[in-house]
Amino acid sequence: METIVPLVLNALTLISIFMIVGLGLAIIFGLMNVINLAHGEFVTIGAFTLSFVQAMGGNYWMALLLAPFVGAAVGFALERLIVQHLYTRPMATILATWGVSLMIQQVLQIVFGSGPQQASGPIEGSVEFLGTSYPAYRLLLISFAAAIIAGVVFIFRKTRFGLDLRAVIQNRDMAEAQGINTRRVYTIAFCGAAAIAAIAGVLIAPLTKVIALMGASYLAPSFFVVIVGGAGSIAGVAAGSAVVGGLETVLNYQVPVTVSQAVVLVAAVVIVRFKPRGLIPA
Amino acid sequence: MDGTGLSLGRGRNAALSNPWVLLTVGLVGIAAAYPSWTDAYSLSVIRDALIFALLALSLDYLWGKAGILSFGHAAFFGIGAYSMAIFGPKIDSANAALVGLLAGMGIAGAVALVIGYFLIFGGVRGAYLTIVTLAISLVAQHIAIGWSQVTGGDSGLIGAPPPGIEIFGFSYVMLDPVHQYYLILAVTAIALLAIWFACSGHYGRVLAAIQDNELRARTLGYNTSLHLLIVFVVSAMLAAVAGGLYDITSGYVAPDLIGLFMSTEIIVWVAVGGRGTLIGPIIGAFVVIRLQQEVSSVSYKLWPMFIGAFFVAMVFLFPNGLLPLLRRIPRIVASRLQRARKAE
Repeated sequence: METIVPLVLNALTLISIFMIVGLGLAIIFGLMNVINLAHGEFVTIGAFTLSFVQAMGGNYWMALLLAPFVGAAVGFALERLIVQHLYTRPMATILATWGVSLMIQQVLQIVFGSGPQQASGPIEGSVEFLGTSYPAYRLLLISFAAAIIAGVVFIFRKTRFGLDLRAVIQNRDMAEAQGINTRRVYTIAFCGAAAIAAIAGVLIAPLTKVIALMGASYLAPSFFVVIVGGAGSIAGVAAGSAVVGGLETVLNYQVPVTVSQAVVLVAAVVIVRFKPRGLIPA
Repeated sequence: MDGTGLSLGRGRNAALSNPWVLLTVGLVGIAAAYPSWTDAYSLSVIRDALIFALLALSLDYLWGKAGILSFGHAAFFGIGAYSMAIFGPKIDSANAALVGLLAGMGIAGAVALVIGYFLIFGGVRGAYLTIVTLAISLVAQHIAIGWSQVTGGDSGLIGAPPPGIEIFGFSYVMLDPVHQYYLILAVTAIALLAIWFACSGHYGRVLAAIQDNELRARTLGYNTSLHLLIVFVVSAMLAAVAGGLYDITSGYVAPDLIGLFMSTEIIVWVAVGGRGTLIGPIIGAFVVIRLQQEVSSVSYKLWPMFIGAFFVAMVFLFPNGLLPLLRRIPRIVASRLQRARKAE
């Protein structure tokens, strides 16, 4: 029991991070067939928002409120200026968003310097939980992630916009014929994905080194999540996160981090061989 | 297909009248004569550029000819370089470099075979495949940094065997930098010729058909997955050769040779030269590396910014690359002249 509970909680932390980062990626990939290689930079932008707000004398909660708006604004610019013109050219989208990703990294490095930024969580210390002591902030992160997922599920299932979104994912032309403004749906979904990734950045920042290049280390795992789980459905993202995050956490107890990453890559590749459309396709 | 360059559908007879062939012969001639009037430093700069040109060529075979965009080629390059630096110095024979090279090719080929088999035969294509290659680069760099007992961690490894051969009592070790330069020029030229020759006939058309419409090519009876897998593995092994040569001549390897940014630069070389043209990416590597030295001498932070802007500009302005754009200029001028003549 003493080892199981922290293991499960560590796995849940990683799964939560992968889920909220991968969620936006999966939605825009399932919806628009767009692979956004600048998605990791939305996480970076969220993390930098936190350190900037704290450096200006603000607190964690202000940053958590501000970050989604910063993320959505950058997402809006990216969608309108670049991605929107490339919907029919997936390879071109990959190259263009990768270019944007490099540019955002460099701008952040030039403005804030290449050293790690300061960022701290709202609560410190550990709490007693199921007989073991666990860092309180990680529990907060898990519950926030759960709340975000619940919010997205609610929007997906219970709102008018969610209905439009599901219709566009299923069949874009038919949705358009029904009078849904697909272009508007795309833009809102893209901004929403960016906003969620920015919130993820704020949540992750106190646990990691906040540098301009941090996005890349979240980009690849979240793509694994999407590929393994299946694009375009929240259940797919959950399944993918559980497999990738769970496997990586368990392996990290047994083998060095580098080996566990290689094993996760191989596992993802093998799963794709037998489930090309993901564990839970849309 | 865009029809640029050493391309399909022209047949071998047209080869001599093809401007790209004349260009290639001219460039190889200049490169061969280059050591006679230059100093040792400039020669080492060109030598490194030639190695990167070979690397660009390996990606062009995969991306230009088979349509698979890979963000993982730096990983295969790194596997080649690290294999040379790890295995080479352990062997006390003139064959050390050869063993290091074969080890690199073997490991890179095996990695590409395993990953490629599961993905390509699993039906993964296009953007998905690209994402996984991106992950290969990330994982490879993590291993290069993290497994420091073997790879030297952040500082990398120093030391490499000189190229040489020992067979039936005959032994030759190549120590002269000018000879090493010729060796690299020869390897690059042979690789270029081999890929061009292979792709100029039936085989090239099969690959073009797969790129164009894989379902139709499969219906016509071609094992498209096998074709793509072979290209993937050969291309990875060629990248490993470039990596091995890099370690032989420069004498060190470091993790930044294997990372995601390096992969990005390879894509830029191919994109500038025009993918699928084979000679284009080689010229692209030279042009971009020269440009990189100029830009980095102003500020090293500007270069990634420059690359980022390049990608965005390329997608909108010159999706087929910069050099094919230049090649169209004479045709545009000619048609303008013709129109002017008609107007008279």
